[in-house]
Amino acid sequence: MSRAPEVLRPGAPWEKTGNASWTQCGHCANWFPVGGELLARPQVKLHCPTCHTEFLAADAARLIKAG
Amino acid sequence: MHAITALQYALEKQGLRPIVYVTQPRLADGRISKMPVVTNLTASRALVARALGINDHRSAAAIYAGRTAAPVAPVVTTTAPVQEIVIKGDEVDLTALPALTQHVGDPGPYLTAAHATTYDPETGVDNTAIQRCWIKSKRRMTYYPYPASHNNRNMRKFWAKGDDCPVVFWIGHHPAVLMGTQAKLGYPQSHWSACGGVIGEPLRLVRSVTFGDKIMVPADAEIVIEGTVPRDVLEADGPFGEYTGYSGPQVAAPVCDVACITMRRDAIYHDYGSGLTDMLVPDNMAMEGKVYSIAKAVAPALSNVYVPAQGRRFHAYLQFNNPGPGEARDAMTAALAYRRLKLAVAVDDDIDIFDDNEVLFALATRVQWSRDSFTLDGLSGSMLDPSTPMGAKTHSKMAVDATLPLPPSPGAPRPVPPRSAVPSDALEAAAKLISGVNTQGWPTL
Repeated sequence: MSRAPEVLRPGAPWEKTGNASWTQCGHCANWFPVGGELLARPQVKLHCPTCHTEFLAADAARLIKAG
Repeated sequence: MHAITALQYALEKQGLRPIVYVTQPRLADGRISKMPVVTNLTASRALVARALGINDHRSAAAIYAGRTAAPVAPVVTTTAPVQEIVIKGDEVDLTALPALTQHVGDPGPYLTAAHATTYDPETGVDNTAIQRCWIKSKRRMTYYPYPASHNNRNMRKFWAKGDDCPVVFWIGHHPAVLMGTQAKLGYPQSHWSACGGVIGEPLRLVRSVTFGDKIMVPADAEIVIEGTVPRDVLEADGPFGEYTGYSGPQVAAPVCDVACITMRRDAIYHDYGSGLTDMLVPDNMAMEGKVYSIAKAVAPALSNVYVPAQGRRFHAYLQFNNPGPGEARDAMTAALAYRRLKLAVAVDDDIDIFDDNEVLFALATRVQWSRDSFTLDGLSGSMLDPSTPMGAKTHSKMAVDATLPLPPSPGAPRPVPPRSAVPSDALEAAAKLISGVNTQGWPTL
């Protein structure tokens, strides 16, 4: 991965935070949402829905994790 | 590639919900398929009610609850239209099915109306649910049984024993049978009898080619796909446009290695428009039956339930006929315990729950928010709800009592002003007056 995962943290209970994690494909630069359960399995390759490149989360161009 | 789903969106935008039948659909690789596609089969409540033999869709909740409570056992046959053509082994080609790529962000064509049937290895009892499959190659597709689903539980039991999980997917049937499979049942409990209850006759089953009587399939389905889910194999699946109207994230999903496809000679491929009324209406109407039965158990004055498609699967309107003290709140509390539901609104029977204008009228004029609403936190719900707080595993739900106060004594009027109205004969005369008039071009907003 070109940079470490960026981790979003919940704020105060009355603040909206969102809940989606996103990753960016290193091949075509497309962003797509990924679930926490998938990210918890680092051996399962992500699949870019645009260019169909498969890559490990550790090799993503960018990864923004929710929580 | 997205043409058929786009057509559904364009129709829905205009408030039109016809069945869409495409005789020469284009496959993902550009070839023209000889197999037609039907979609929007269940986009209309009126059509679904007609398929169920119900005169008025407004009465579906009580009728569906009654039918699923009176199951009819299936019958086994050896003559099955769905097995007129049998394709096995290397001849199998999933990519020849006219599966649609529906939404921006979907990685490829998905089976959206595939009814996955597995069985509990301990009891042998089968379970059926619509679960999506992304076609990845001629013989492999992902298979995503939602973690809380009964099929997922069956699969995990096979895997725990060290075995692969047998599964069949059947596509296409009479819409009433499709409604029967939406029945919300306990575990382990077969959907075949529930289907029989919904259609009012035994469902015809036949042994699957690969698994024999271990997994039966509907004899009158259009297409059956048989295969195994190899133990502990997970691949990326999604993103996928979901019922919420948002794209669900990519997940780690099991896969299915396909051994056999059977079909009718003139098979029609059935697609559900995910997130469109086509998929929301049948599930929501089944939800109405379930919510009706669980809320009616604590509130006999409950007269009807509506789960509107514009609330996805999160909202329910509950209608009452003279509810007693606490009864509307009891009913809403029971209803909110049901899965994805996160808003329950209680109204009286002078409010048409199938008309949002009427429900908004009740909310505007019969509710003091601090007095008439309450929230319940920490209940189960849908993890696909985009508003779920980061890291949360449960949800916050709300009930709003928009019923009128009770009369102070029997025969007395309710202690609120009466609704404004014009005499019914004057209203009828006015309707007649405008019935023959060309209103094209008149302002509607």
